[in-house]
Amino acid sequence: MLEMEIRDKACRGCRFCVDICPTDALAFDDETQKAVIKEVEDCIECLSCGFICPSGAIAHKNHHVVKNFYRNLYFSRRMEKFL
Amino acid sequence: MEDIHEIRKRRRTLQETMNFMAALSAGIEPILGRGANSMTMSAGRNLGRKFSENATKTDDLLAAVDEVRRVLEENHCLWFFEPFKPKNQPEMIMVNDKGEREMQIVFKDCMIRQSLFRFGHPQQGSLCNMMYGFFAGALENIMGKKAKLDIKHAGENACLKVLTVAS
Ligand code: SF4
Ligand code: SF4
Repeated sequence: MLEMEIRDKACRGCRFCVDICPTDALAFDDETQKAVIKEVEDCIECLSCGFICPSGAIAHKNHHVVKNFYRNLYFSRRMEKFL
Repeated sequence: MEDIHEIRKRRRTLQETMNFMAALSAGIEPILGRGANSMTMSAGRNLGRKFSENATKTDDLLAAVDEVRRVLEENHCLWFFEPFKPKNQPEMIMVNDKGEREMQIVFKDCMIRQSLFRFGHPQQGSLCNMMYGFFAGALENIMGKKAKLDIKHAGENACLKVLTVAS
């Protein structure tokens, strides 16, 4: 089951994570001026909050990690010529 | 049972093709502008209809989504998605003010997202639209009703979309 944590010592209260979350799983605590988890069950594991957080304060555990399919470096090298 | 190496080989070919298409679509978008999205969406829709020609018809939305999954698997497309019900939403399928059925779907493993990221292309472009077209086209064939898929959020590890089916 998904576990999520916001380390409040690291959070600097920018609200980026709250704004980016598509499911309102996060909220902002006006008193502490920190982001908090509102509803972990609503988290779709998109990890956008973790990617956007400037302090690396958000961590997910036991989540589905997207498959990178069949990375083929030879093909990528060939493709890079065209990009 | 099919040889695992054969399956891997075919999937790799598919992924290479996806990478190639990501590069192509990134190339045509600046030239065609917004038209690129409707063109690829329409191409995807036609493909979805074609792939689902022999699919089982149903009016049950959840069964139809499962049938789309089966059609994709049958065609070796790796696209892992599941319906999503927010905790405070009473039902998985809701009816909007136009009387249309709506459902949220989370897309997890997606060949397109991974292909785009590999070369730093943005999401929600023409290739994403092609896949949404594919999904809608297949679902339309299965349900016999107009369907659309709107992107609510394109994330790094999952995307959230809203599926709307006409009444
Ligand atoms: S993005 Fe990070 S620093 Fe900003 S409010 Fe969220 S947890 Fe705090
Ligand atoms: S991973 Fe996505 S859905 Fe989950 S809390 Fe972060 S932004 Fe919201």
